[in-house]
Amino acid sequence: MNWVGLWTLINREVGRFLSVYKQTILPGIISSGLYIVVFGFTLEQRISHIDGIPYTLFILPGLIMMTTLTNATSNTASSMLQMKLLQQLPDLLTAPLSGLEISLAYIIGGTLRGFINGLMVMLIGILLIDMPVQNPLGTIGFIFLVSWAFASMGLLLGQLADTWDHLATMQNFFLTPLSFLGGIFYSIKMLPSWAQTISFFNPIYYMINGIRHTILGVSDSDPLISFFMALSMTILFSLSAILVMNSGKKIKL
Amino acid sequence: MAVPAIQISGLKKSYDDVHALNGVNIQIEQGQFFGLLGPNGAGKTTTINILTGLVRRGEGESKIMGKDTVKDYRFTRSQVGIAAQELSVDWFFPIEKLLYFQAGYYGIPKQKAKLQIDQLLDRMGLTEKKDSRLRQLSGGMKRRFQLAKALVHDPNIIILDEPTAGVDVELRHDLWQYLRDLHAAGKTILLTTHYIEEAELLCEKVAIIDQGKILKEGTPKELTRELGQSGITIHLSGYDEKLIPCLSDYSYTQEENRLHFSVDDPDSSLPDIIKQISSCDIHIQSVESSSSSLEDVFLHLTGKGINQ
Repeated sequence: MNWVGLWTLINREVGRFLSVYKQTILPGIISSGLYIVVFGFTLEQRISHIDGIPYTLFILPGLIMMTTLTNATSNTASSMLQMKLLQQLPDLLTAPLSGLEISLAYIIGGTLRGFINGLMVMLIGILLIDMPVQNPLGTIGFIFLVSWAFASMGLLLGQLADTWDHLATMQNFFLTPLSFLGGIFYSIKMLPSWAQTISFFNPIYYMINGIRHTILGVSDSDPLISFFMALSMTILFSLSAILVMNSGKKIKL
Repeated sequence: MAVPAIQISGLKKSYDDVHALNGVNIQIEQGQFFGLLGPNGAGKTTTINILTGLVRRGEGESKIMGKDTVKDYRFTRSQVGIAAQELSVDWFFPIEKLLYFQAGYYGIPKQKAKLQIDQLLDRMGLTEKKDSRLRQLSGGMKRRFQLAKALVHDPNIIILDEPTAGVDVELRHDLWQYLRDLHAAGKTILLTTHYIEEAELLCEKVAIIDQGKILKEGTPKELTRELGQSGITIHLSGYDEKLIPCLSDYSYTQEENRLHFSVDDPDSSLPDIIKQISSCDIHIQSVESSSSSLEDVFLHLTGKGINQ
């Protein structure tokens, strides 16, 4: 294992997103704050409680999860595609770094961005609406796990994508709709039964309900299933990203 | 006998239906300055990209210091520093930091890399620009940074893919001197170029590659002695395609307004060439005749100029 190489690339990846924090950290905090103020405070007049939880509080775990997974995915995906398009990738591919080391560095970089964003939104919730966190360790652990899963997915997408358009398609037509339909703003019990059935096929539904359980103690899905779903996605996407990196598909001729 | 620095045998590579390499064989001894000479698309970059792991090998063998470049990639890559033809772009970090990253990828921690990085920045005239981003550097500075990046881990073997492409004459001469110094310090250098003068001036041994095959290999002197012809160089006031039929009996290369003819006997050919050019109403600015050069060898072997 080239530990110095791995550490260097992690440093590069973390340094990259921190150097543009106005694009990578602040937007998640601002948009989550706006969701709380605009959605929460206005809709709370109409929908006072869901599962016995005030509406603004109910939506916060979902906002944490959406910010986490969006940032984790976009960090690895955009960093990898950028390196491909700007001819930076040869620096890594000609160095004595294995596919595992390169993949791990990217995934850790993306995980940290997702994790930091998730924690910041959680802090906003605590500061703005006094959000209680029932299981702080479980919450932090779950944010980290989901962040890793989606950072791995982002790396896989970044490796396979040829243009920014490919990434935007994934973000706009899959990730964002699935997040919204995963129950950020509602409990799926409020949906007709056919829509509830469809929600069970949405992996993000389990992520949102998993974190909601660790924070508020309520959840539409069994917390154990949510945890295993996050763990399965982490393993599946990590292995896939590493295998694609090792194979050189789309990154080597 | 010492193991060869680079050994390539029977190397083949295809992209869909295109055969980029058709069984390339090259052996480069340790400490040798070797030139791989060929026109664009001849297979030079594919060959070195296979050596460095950027391109997946098709058939054949590629070894660095006796080790396989695929199985023992950690060892072989640590031996090589490559300055690619394409300049990379980084928006985020100053160039000094990029050099520290590059050293780190090769397992060299920051403290150990400092001396080498300071020396390289100084030698390349980039110390004052160390806090600048790449986009803030001139083309020549970028090229020098590219070379510094290749040398940051003090490799035994340096691979340079068209290192002087697009640089001005002064920088080209400066880079040549630096490459001579590196060679004198015992480094093995593999240079790909389509500047024949560059290969002739710097390389101890040259291989001429075209259409994915090595056509001939030897020292520049051996090649010119064996295959070279004398040359006539004519500078025109302006090149016009109407010259092509007038000069159809001659082998020549054309670069902008410069024509170079490979001939057996310049004294007897010169009057007729001048007559042919004049008959096309093209004004001649100057005429030089020269002894055999690699340019003539290249023309003899490939039947075309290196930039064609």
